[in-house]
Amino acid sequence: MISVWHFLSVAAVLFALGLIGFLTRRNLITMFLSAELMIQGVVLNLLAFARFHANLSGQAFGLFVIAVAACEAGLAMALIIAMYRRTKSLDSSVWQNLRETGVPATIDPDALIQPPLELADDPKLPAAGKKPQEVAGV
Amino acid sequence: MSSTALALTVLATLLASTILTPLLAQLRLSRYAHFPAILGFAIASVLSLFMLRDVFLLGPAGTTPGLSLDLSGTYPFFDLNLKESPTVWFHAGLLKVTFSLAIDPLSAIMLATVTFVATWIAVFSSGYMHGEDGYTRFFTIMCLFVFCMCLLVLADNFFLLLAGWEGVGLCSYLLVGYYYAKPSAAAAARKAFLVTRLGDVGFVLGIFLLWSAGGYHTDLSAIFAHIQQHSASHGTLTAACLLLFCGAVGKSAQLPLYVWLPDAMEGPTPVSALIHAATMVTAGVYLLARCAPLFVQVPYVQIYICATGGLTAIFAAFIALTQTDLKRILAYSTVSQLGYMFMALGTVGAITPSIAVAAAIFHLFTHAFFKALLFLGSGSVMHAMGGVIDIRKFSGLRKLMPVTHITFLIGCAALAGLPLLSGFWSKDQILDSLHHAGEHSLHYRVLYEGVFLVALLTAGLTAFYTFRAYFLTFWGEERIPEEAGHHAHESPRVMRVPLIVLAVGAVIVGLAVESFTRHGFSKFLATTPAIQMANKTYEREHNVRSQSSPHFNWKVAGMGTTAALLGLAAAFALYRRGEMVAVPAILKPAHGLSLNKGYVDEIFQGIIVKPAEIAATGTRQFDGLLDSLARFVAFIPRLFAAFLRPLQNGLVQFYALGMVLGLAVFAFFIVFKVSR
Repeated sequence: MISVWHFLSVAAVLFALGLIGFLTRRNLITMFLSAELMIQGVVLNLLAFARFHANLSGQAFGLFVIAVAACEAGLAMALIIAMYRRTKSLDSSVWQNLRETGVPATIDPDALIQPPLELADDPKLPAAGKKPQEVAGV
Repeated sequence: MSSTALALTVLATLLASTILTPLLAQLRLSRYAHFPAILGFAIASVLSLFMLRDVFLLGPAGTTPGLSLDLSGTYPFFDLNLKESPTVWFHAGLLKVTFSLAIDPLSAIMLATVTFVATWIAVFSSGYMHGEDGYTRFFTIMCLFVFCMCLLVLADNFFLLLAGWEGVGLCSYLLVGYYYAKPSAAAAARKAFLVTRLGDVGFVLGIFLLWSAGGYHTDLSAIFAHIQQHSASHGTLTAACLLLFCGAVGKSAQLPLYVWLPDAMEGPTPVSALIHAATMVTAGVYLLARCAPLFVQVPYVQIYICATGGLTAIFAAFIALTQTDLKRILAYSTVSQLGYMFMALGTVGAITPSIAVAAAIFHLFTHAFFKALLFLGSGSVMHAMGGVIDIRKFSGLRKLMPVTHITFLIGCAALAGLPLLSGFWSKDQILDSLHHAGEHSLHYRVLYEGVFLVALLTAGLTAFYTFRAYFLTFWGEERIPEEAGHHAHESPRVMRVPLIVLAVGAVIVGLAVESFTRHGFSKFLATTPAIQMANKTYEREHNVRSQSSPHFNWKVAGMGTTAALLGLAAAFALYRRGEMVAVPAILKPAHGLSLNKGYVDEIFQGIIVKPAEIAATGTRQFDGLLDSLARFVAFIPRLFAAFLRPLQNGLVQFYALGMVLGLAVFAFFIVFKVSR
């Protein structure tokens, strides 16, 4: 029998994964995906309790959150694209110049050496698999 | 139109020109900026002549009707109604200030003089100021000045009068500083403003004292009537009169506050003619004349006024003897002539008030003509000499500038008081008043006799320095300074015509209104309600009948003329060659004293300006101390903040971590503390 505890533990795992992802990754898109993960964890909580209490208000609220999350995703992507166009980078630490005046900039002591890539106007996610080989003569 | 309506139209016309002139600059018509001014002044002048006629035929106008504006929701939305009582400007508690005008012979004469002289000076300025930067600015301020002056003259309310009084002060400041890029002009403007302000403080205090002593009225006529009925305490009245006199001293450049007037000559010459000779500086005289019903009750203040006038007259004349700047000579002569007017006002109460006031106002009237003429003449000379006004640098201009020469000569003769010219009649009346006061005053005969002698001596000195300036400028061999170049010439017609008009005025006004046995001016002026009131007080206190008009005294006239002729003869003997003469050794100290303006500026510098500067420096230091204390207090929070500032490092993840840790603490607290 699947009890409310099972739901809650899945939700907690989702939330924790999202949290860890948000704190450790510096790619803006990945950070945003992690934040979404946290939201979904919370929504799962709502649904679980709705089922547990056998009323629909939690379900309705869950739908509502999903709709809002969709809007938020659109907004966030627009912001990320705008930020990318200014700095040609998806790294969130590039934007640290909003710090208090007089505080020295934080420098990553062992930064990743990024291969020079042709910077497009808009950000592109890394390729999902190997680039198809070109077949000679085609 | 009734005389009140005429007066209001005069004010409205002048205000309209003031607003219209700067609009021309906006339309890029600056070249025609003189049109609204000249047209406005001319219309005002004609209207004020009509008003003078109305007042002459029908007598003074009563209370000024007011307007009330009723707003409503239906067409035509507003309704203007004529009321019996004057419109209220503002009121607060017991203080109620109304727009009430005094339409009587005194104000009518002043209004006509101001607007008439202003018209011709505006015509002159359109030639003199041609091509100057700020042509529009000049005429705008001129219009505003004449408006304020007319307001001052027409006001029957102390606060309305004060508004005009401060307005003319402001315009004077703006016009003296017309060449504001020149440091000396800017300094002169500041000096003029600050020194007159010193007098104005007294004036305002005096107004409030009279307001509280005069039954909380602000209308002059109401205050006079109230004080007449419920005799105020002598102390209050003395203090109030002295304070009013203090304002007059500042505005009318009397000892010791005359120092701003000679410096005010930094302004353009037409300004000197209009503001610092013919109109504004006479405001103090006008104020004292209007307040005659108060001053007649305090004879010891009168003594003080008379003595101040006498000292100023002789001292300024003494300084004028050796000055070499043509405009400054005229400025000192203005101070000296104002002193004459105050001498006459000082005899109010010792003799019939109407006669003393008439003497002062008549001198004011004639002085406006011949002094404006002299200033415009000097402006004409300055125009031709390329801006040089030092009489040592040019001479023998009589062939070069015939019209200026003749008109200047007429002005000089009038100022010196040569017989039959306007200055003669008015100066004679003042001398006569003083002489009369010396014979008939109740307590202070010796003093009045002394002042009479001072006035006679001043008459001689006046003739001497006036003709010294005249001979040095127009006689001898022709010399022209380099600055004039080769085009030294008689001024254009637009400048000559005002000279001629004013010269004609300077010749005939005295003869026309106040010669030998005809005393039209004095009799007309005596019908002013305020002066009538002063006469009544005089009759009651001295238990005599007041004299209806002055009578021409051949002895006094002879003495005055002799003094003037002696001065003229001395000037002719010394300066007819148009060159400066060496000063004999015995007169060297006196000459130095006069040349250095009696060291008054230096004394003021030493006893007022320097201590003020020291006090200001001390205050500045103290202010700095307070500032550093405040900065120290503000520094303490910054010091603590220095520990917290590194937390704001701009990294999103760092902030997120902070939130997570905070949330963790919060959750820990709830789980392990609250739920137990």
